[in-house]
Amino acid sequence: MALQHQIRSRQAHTPGATFLSYTPNGKKLITVGIDNYCRIFTTGSDEEPATIDDCQENNTAIAAGNGFFITGSEDGTVCKYSLENNKLEEVLVRTSLPVRDIALSPDGNWVAVASDELVVKVVNTQDMTKILYLRDQTRSVKHVSFDTSGTYLAVSCTDGRILIYSLSSEQPEMIKQLEGMIKSIDSDAEASSKVLWHPDGRAFGTPTPSRDIQVMSWSDWERQKAFTTGHGGDITSAVWSPNGALLATTASDLSLCLWETKTQKLLKKYDDVRATILSMAWHPTENILSYTNNDGELFIHTDIVPTEHQGLLQLSIQSAPFFHDPTEGTSGNAGAKLANGAKETIPHRPGRRQRTPDSINDILGDLSEDEAMDDFVIDDDGAGYAPNVNGHGKRTNGHLGALASPNGKRRAFGSSFFRPETHEAFQPGSTPWRGNRRYLCLNLTGFVWTVSQETHNTITVEFYDREFHRDFHFTDPFQYDKACLNENGALFSCEPSGDNPAMVYYRPHETWTTRTDWRTNLPAGESVTAIALSDSYIVVTTSANYVRIYTLFGIPWRVYRQKASPAVTCAAWRDYVLTIGNGPVGGDGKCHLLYTIENVKRDEVFQAEDIVALTPNSTLSNVFFSDAGDPYIYDSTGVLLTLLHWRSPGQARWVPLLDTRLLPRLSGGGKEESYWPVAVAQRKFHCIILKGADRYPYFPRPILSEFEFQIPLSSPSDSKNKNKREEFDISDDEEDTTTTKKDDSRTLEHSLILTTTLFTQLSSTLSHTRPTSSQRQKLTELEVSIDRILLQLLGQECMAGEEHGMKALEIVTLMRDANGRMLELAGKVAGRYGREVLGEKIRELAERRLVGLDGGEEE
Amino acid sequence: MALPLPPGLTPPEVAFLCEMELVTVIPRQRLEGLELLGGPSPPLNPPHRASLPLWLALLLKRQRRANILPPPWLTTLSLTALLDHETEHAESFSPPPRLPPAPSPTTLPFTPPFLQSSTAEAPPDALPYHWLELGEMLLEGASDDFEEPDVVRRLLRGLREVRMAKLRRGVEVLDAAGGLQMNGVGGMELSEGRAFIGGVIDGLRKINASREQARRDRDREERENGFGGTADDDYDDDEMDMR
Repeated sequence: MALQHQIRSRQAHTPGATFLSYTPNGKKLITVGIDNYCRIFTTGSDEEPATIDDCQENNTAIAAGNGFFITGSEDGTVCKYSLENNKLEEVLVRTSLPVRDIALSPDGNWVAVASDELVVKVVNTQDMTKILYLRDQTRSVKHVSFDTSGTYLAVSCTDGRILIYSLSSEQPEMIKQLEGMIKSIDSDAEASSKVLWHPDGRAFGTPTPSRDIQVMSWSDWERQKAFTTGHGGDITSAVWSPNGALLATTASDLSLCLWETKTQKLLKKYDDVRATILSMAWHPTENILSYTNNDGELFIHTDIVPTEHQGLLQLSIQSAPFFHDPTEGTSGNAGAKLANGAKETIPHRPGRRQRTPDSINDILGDLSEDEAMDDFVIDDDGAGYAPNVNGHGKRTNGHLGALASPNGKRRAFGSSFFRPETHEAFQPGSTPWRGNRRYLCLNLTGFVWTVSQETHNTITVEFYDREFHRDFHFTDPFQYDKACLNENGALFSCEPSGDNPAMVYYRPHETWTTRTDWRTNLPAGESVTAIALSDSYIVVTTSANYVRIYTLFGIPWRVYRQKASPAVTCAAWRDYVLTIGNGPVGGDGKCHLLYTIENVKRDEVFQAEDIVALTPNSTLSNVFFSDAGDPYIYDSTGVLLTLLHWRSPGQARWVPLLDTRLLPRLSGGGKEESYWPVAVAQRKFHCIILKGADRYPYFPRPILSEFEFQIPLSSPSDSKNKNKREEFDISDDEEDTTTTKKDDSRTLEHSLILTTTLFTQLSSTLSHTRPTSSQRQKLTELEVSIDRILLQLLGQECMAGEEHGMKALEIVTLMRDANGRMLELAGKVAGRYGREVLGEKIRELAERRLVGLDGGEEE
Repeated sequence: MALPLPPGLTPPEVAFLCEMELVTVIPRQRLEGLELLGGPSPPLNPPHRASLPLWLALLLKRQRRANILPPPWLTTLSLTALLDHETEHAESFSPPPRLPPAPSPTTLPFTPPFLQSSTAEAPPDALPYHWLELGEMLLEGASDDFEEPDVVRRLLRGLREVRMAKLRRGVEVLDAAGGLQMNGVGGMELSEGRAFIGGVIDGLRKINASREQARRDRDREERENGFGGTADDDYDDDEMDMR
């Protein structure tokens, strides 16, 4: 019979609960049961197993490392045995109550012991005096489980809670408590509530009370997809295949199922299980699943994966079943998590994800796996770390732990030849998927968000101004992944899928005829990298490096190829279009970003391929036009910059207007927050404050905060005094007068440079457009206020003393003298403080200006 | 004809005055600037913040046309710190917010109704004059704009009790020459405490009236006997007080 051929049943122990474990290299298989010996089977041989006698009885758990294994028994001893001489080495730890589970960290240095005690002990396997105690449990513990990097330990308690501890610090710290993921089970029950860390390290699964396997992503604690197992009894064991592509589950209804991770589909169901399986283990490399039941038997099930699915086992590490894989290029604004288990790093937009082989693998996952895999292996070092190249004792990299998983390794290898890092494309104002939601667009008009419903999405558009616009939502079968919103309409675009090419959809908010929304398709094979919507044009940058500009009614107006490529993003305001692309490589191995600004209506290029000034190793976070129509960028270091003189070719320069790291709220210390840029309007920076390590806003929608511009002039340490004074224990109002004076002149200096910058910005705008009267008035106001600030500065200098006369005179020369009376006033100020010499010089200056000798410009 | 009301302002009157305080709102629809008796209101343009008088903000809030942004001192963090400060320093009240520097030497310093002590830019570490009534009104009218309205309510209650206890304890030292430092006491607290404290002082004065009379007689005698002396000033002061 075929079945008998496949399954080799071994009577390993006397009937009763039996457990097993493979050594990491897969050569040996060790079983323990209720009798007082352990058996060591050798993979691939039918010989009688080696036996270690005189062990403890009633063993409940086993974990095997390289060259040793550890058992736990009901009498509370945890023993370490050597595999070299098959002898008991030492008793690692004793507990007062029966041991229920043990787990070995991936590096084999620590073993976690779960017992009926409330405390979980984590013991060093080399030095048993080193013990960590995890004490946050309120009920006894049923299972413990290390994650793939060995820094986190999941503890499943009998009251249905899961506690996640971080072991990276000296003192272990509980970082999360999860309820409702597992059932509360007695500690001696056969059913399992073990946390199953997926080998890719970004998610874990647990058996749920409804006998499913629920996957949860580990970074944001969001529930992801679930395996609906349909088991008739409680799940007694479940285990991911070494590469995470398969999941094996078994339950007390005497069935064993194999699931494909990517689709959560049943691949094979074995109903011929003789007794309840208590413990299962995949062979690290071969197509073998071994399991032990509660009747003392061991089954080594070779060829458990049917041949038609065998390819799945040979893949590299597969990603866990996320609703939306965070590494998948959502609109590029994706908070890409590294698959290399470097979990402490915050999701953030690393430029390297694009084009790394791993992400291609993710994206091309639909292709036949074998094909993708072959290329993938050849591309590489061929050193045999790719799984199953020779099949003999070679492990898949899934077992090498965090450092050796594909991304890390690939990078180390890739550094031997030069590959420039391009800046990733992103859609301004969008966030990556988190759970099943994301914002497609967030600006001052409103916000667009989408909810994934498996087969389709639901898009909701909400406005801040409830009266002017009506909120709306619609089902979206095309799965739009980018959106823009303004007062007139909403623009969406979707990626090509299958036979459908990429599409752009524009929906005006209101019309005086019937609704004139329109869709247009891009040529096949071209996908959208970014879209922008202005009052008069629609801009689409595509993967084929085209910039496509449409009118608001869908007439293609311009198509041209972008010089800087690949495209990064674009923005638009009225007739002006700003496109950003990757340019030549800079000193840090990254591409410089180049921007182009043009006026579409007049077909005039203002700035061609000029550099977006970023500091090394920082990335662009957002780009937008302010309500006055000036371009602004916000970079990953938290600096807001604007472009001055951008209408004169070659004159443009980036001017910082706000450095969020220098904000008094941050420099006060103690606060950990970051700012997610939204817009600049009315000379204020609008942003969303994100607490802690968050990088993107999430639901419910946080309120917008506004900050005044603050040009970085001095470090925040100067303002510390001030903070101190503002603290609670204000003893008295004694103030150091010199500090206040300094502060005053600082504020004046700052407002001088800020006003000058704003004046320059406005005057350069007005010199190129037809100014409205209110704009003109604003300009005059700014000009007058510059002079007023200078007058105040002058007053301070005069007050400071005669020796400040030179500086005072310099301040006077800086005056613009807009209304012709400022110099006169300056003379009066000097007179009031009794600075006669200064007053004389000011009068001389005024006279020279009057006759036009000195236009403020000296040789 | 005396009004049948206790002296000073009644709590509704204090609350009415408090409605002049400016608060920050996030409008949900457009509104042109209004020409109000108290000065023009800024035009509302969502989602830009604007400062409006409390009464208008509450009106818009009731009509669901705006959201009110609670001032920074009305957050759980600040209130907890303030409550700690109040309980630690048993003898003094937490200091009022600092006055901003006067815009120019010629203008007068601001006073509470025109001081922006309850907008989003207000200092987070001091209770302004109208803290109690403003907090109560916001909690009543715009509790959904708070992150944790119940906690805020409880903290406000705690603060009120602590400070009222201090005021009452202060009465113990109110003797003829006793005094009580009342820096930082809010408007509503004053109007609440006025009846009680005033009553206590009046009572004390009645009790001391005979002694006072005796002293005055003695003073007069002394003066008539030609002793000018030092008691002169005291006499004048007492005379003023008794009126």
